Amino acid sequence: MADTIKLFVNGVEVEVEAGKNLIDAIGAVGIEIPHLCYHPALGADGNCRMCLVGIEDGRPPLVPACKTPAQAGMKVLLDAAHIKKIQRDVMELELINHPTDCPICDQAGECKLQDYYMSYGRPESRMTVPQVQKSKKLDFGCGVVHDQERCVTCGRCVRFCRQITKTGELGIINRTDDARVNIFPGRPLNNRYALNVVDLCPVGAMTSKDFRFKQRVWFLKKAPGICHGCAKGCNITIEHNREKYQDDIIYRFRPRLNPQVNGYFMCDAGRLSYRQENEGRLLEARLSSQIRPLSDVLAACNQEIERAGKIVVLLSPNCSLEQMVAVKTLSAKLGASLSGFSDGYVKAGDGDGYLIQDDKSANRAGLTLLGIDCTQETFEEAVREAQLLINFNNDLTRSYTDSELKKLLKDTKVIAVATHNDRLTAMADIAIPVATSSEYAGCLINCDNILQAFALAVSKNQQPLDIGAIAAKLGSPLQSRAEQFAELRKYISILKDFEADTLPAEGLKLNDSEAANVTA
Amino acid sequence: MEVKILSAKFDIKDANKIAIAKTLGAYATLDKLFAMKPEDVIEEVKKSGLRGRGGAGFPAGVKWGFLPKNTGKPIYLTVNSDESEPATFKDRYILVRDPHMLIEGIIICSYAIGCHDTYIYIRGEYTTQVKVLQAAIDEAYAEGYLGDSVAGHDFQLNVTVHRGAGAYVCGEETALLESIEGKKGQPRSKPPFPAVAGLYGCPTIINNVQTIASLPFILTNGADAYKVYGTEKSPGTHLFGISGHVEKPGMYELPLGLPILEVIDKVAGGVWKGRKLKGIIPGGSSTPVLLPDEVKDVTLDYESMAAHKTMFGSGGIVVLDETVDIVQLVKNLIDFYHHESCGQCTPCREGLGWMLKIIKKILRREGSMDDVLLLRELCDNIEMKTVCVLSAACTMPVRSYLDKFRHEFEAYVQGASSAQVKQE
Repeated sequence: MADTIKLFVNGVEVEVEAGKNLIDAIGAVGIEIPHLCYHPALGADGNCRMCLVGIEDGRPPLVPACKTPAQAGMKVLLDAAHIKKIQRDVMELELINHPTDCPICDQAGECKLQDYYMSYGRPESRMTVPQVQKSKKLDFGCGVVHDQERCVTCGRCVRFCRQITKTGELGIINRTDDARVNIFPGRPLNNRYALNVVDLCPVGAMTSKDFRFKQRVWFLKKAPGICHGCAKGCNITIEHNREKYQDDIIYRFRPRLNPQVNGYFMCDAGRLSYRQENEGRLLEARLSSQIRPLSDVLAACNQEIERAGKIVVLLSPNCSLEQMVAVKTLSAKLGASLSGFSDGYVKAGDGDGYLIQDDKSANRAGLTLLGIDCTQETFEEAVREAQLLINFNNDLTRSYTDSELKKLLKDTKVIAVATHNDRLTAMADIAIPVATSSEYAGCLINCDNILQAFALAVSKNQQPLDIGAIAAKLGSPLQSRAEQFAELRKYISILKDFEADTLPAEGLKLNDSEAANVTA
Repeated sequence: MEVKILSAKFDIKDANKIAIAKTLGAYATLDKLFAMKPEDVIEEVKKSGLRGRGGAGFPAGVKWGFLPKNTGKPIYLTVNSDESEPATFKDRYILVRDPHMLIEGIIICSYAIGCHDTYIYIRGEYTTQVKVLQAAIDEAYAEGYLGDSVAGHDFQLNVTVHRGAGAYVCGEETALLESIEGKKGQPRSKPPFPAVAGLYGCPTIINNVQTIASLPFILTNGADAYKVYGTEKSPGTHLFGISGHVEKPGMYELPLGLPILEVIDKVAGGVWKGRKLKGIIPGGSSTPVLLPDEVKDVTLDYESMAAHKTMFGSGGIVVLDETVDIVQLVKNLIDFYHHESCGQCTPCREGLGWMLKIIKKILRREGSMDDVLLLRELCDNIEMKTVCVLSAACTMPVRSYLDKFRHEFEAYVQGASSAQVKQE
């Protein structure tokens, strides 16, 4: 915990973190100061005037809390009648030109204006003159749809494009109540983080073309997760819902604050990667293109394993540490060669030095730490000699063309332990469905050697087993996540202090020796 | 009653040309200036009691004293020539008729505060004024009064004219700075104040044209000579623009502290056409109105105006005769401030538009007493809740009309025509 100071809110002494503004400092101890324009990642602007508070020390009667640093001994007035009146008055002014059609607004249920209306607003409208009319449903590009009438011109979106992406596509044009957010003519949003403006928008002015009108937000269940779109491991909230008689479906990913990893934001590609959790999944086990019960298929696998002289086991760089260690012990038991070859996951030059990384896999550092060989030569040599390849969800089509693959695998039987029913799975002799990252719990190490844990988020009607469990069925001695985690402690000494579900929420920064703790 | 301190050269032909201006004493203070220490110049200005002529009336020398010392950053002087307040037309005379007095004042102030780059922010609509001013600046450069060595002394000073694009709000000092920096003209939250972090984040002094133009007289003749004019707390002279329903509207230089009625009668020829006085706007459209029975002992100085719950403002006096339709006047007033709101803060952005629609509704005789009361309440709800005082510039006068001429609004909402009916 950083340094703390003591100050007074409504005459009551509270201890808050030093060096923050009043909104953040007091907000952290549970006292809300309403605000629309301020956002901790974008700084104070001071235009919404919702956060005006009184400070009893002789300074001007009202100050914006967003621009006022918390100081020791400060006497902050929040519940005085004149402050409450200001909040009510400003709310009234925010709302006079705002459409009152919350039932058809996509933001309803997560709208600051709605929340503040209930907490600080006036019950009845006094607006007896026509409202200002502005444009609606403007396509701003990058899947962002703007409604100028719902906009409170707080400028968060404008500041995001100026300060964070530094692309500056958005601006507020015109003065007075004609002021509105817009793009330059013919110059729509064009950056890889644009959908963050939808999250930043405190009202329903910025909506996501992908998400809008698909779900009412109050039906969505929220579970913390880690984006598997690249090696950054941005923290996300997985928002999903099981409609009546349907399966549990993920509707969106949204970034979740982790100052150590991604801050408040995530890239659009990662955000939209939720679709892969829903679409094109391998749902049933197959033996030579025939759908068969999983137990039969596993029995067939074990026969193939016994029959095969040499076996290659291939791991996906997206597997969790637990899955990796389970597969590694399985591989050792089978006397197979283990590979993590996945060069195709790396898109050189695609990273941007902010969040997006070249490496589109979530746990390559895990492969390295467990000492798993990832070179192409070793992998290909092993495949050429082997009769059987057990592929744990490594998307080889990223590394090879189809013809290259056919040539490489021509004499080798393939067991595909896969999440998706794709070309590669179709080529396999045996296919076993497994859970995707939202359907199991595990740990990952990101590009900055931060070890992060995530919990199971979504339970499907027919929950597939995860790779660790399949490895166990195929003979890995590690039969549970607890046993896998215990095995992991051999590689990562710092884990002795933790259990699988007690890892710190912000992640565990591994030092260089731990991250390169190769013992294999 | 009139005096000729600032306006001494106003009626002389071609006094805007440096050759003529010099024969009339322009730039004569510079040798004295550079013989003084900068802090002594500030002290002299403090002693003179010169107050900011932009409207707020803050003592100029004291403002200069707020500059932090030894920051390692340049210090800027910015001259506010964005004279846009309705009924205000004093600075334009200086810009056109005696620009060298302004330039000389700029040299004095710059030397005093240690500034080597001065910006003159001039109202976009002042097309003639900007030409005359720029020509005078070019002359001053040519004759060595500006540039690397001011009047042969070891002091460098550059003056840049920056034209506005027509926004009233850019007369607000921090919006003015934003505009010079090339951004949208929207006021900044204070603190920090410009003296600490102003133009390009550097310490900046912003003074009105008339304030700066008063400096040559003070330096030439000394603080005591300046204090001969005016009152103890409001010393000196002021350029008053008297307009509205008077026989002789115009710009008059007067010492501060004169009775306002006497000035209207003796200087401006009294209310025109023998009509009765209805009210006086004392210092530009944003100052609360005074009723005839309130103005009897009002004098033209900061203290008297404050005592009568109005403001001295910019010296733009508007006389209203008995025929004025106050409701119509208030509509024009709100229309202006609504149009000029920068749109940054919620109360001003949304509130002034709402007020305008309500007053229009009242003018159409579709309003009710509830609308009048709402208009009055909105004045309180909007005022001082914003970054700058533009909203207050609208609500303060509107409140005064609503309180002092309530019967005229009532007449409109009752559908009667005690006030002269005019179409919107």
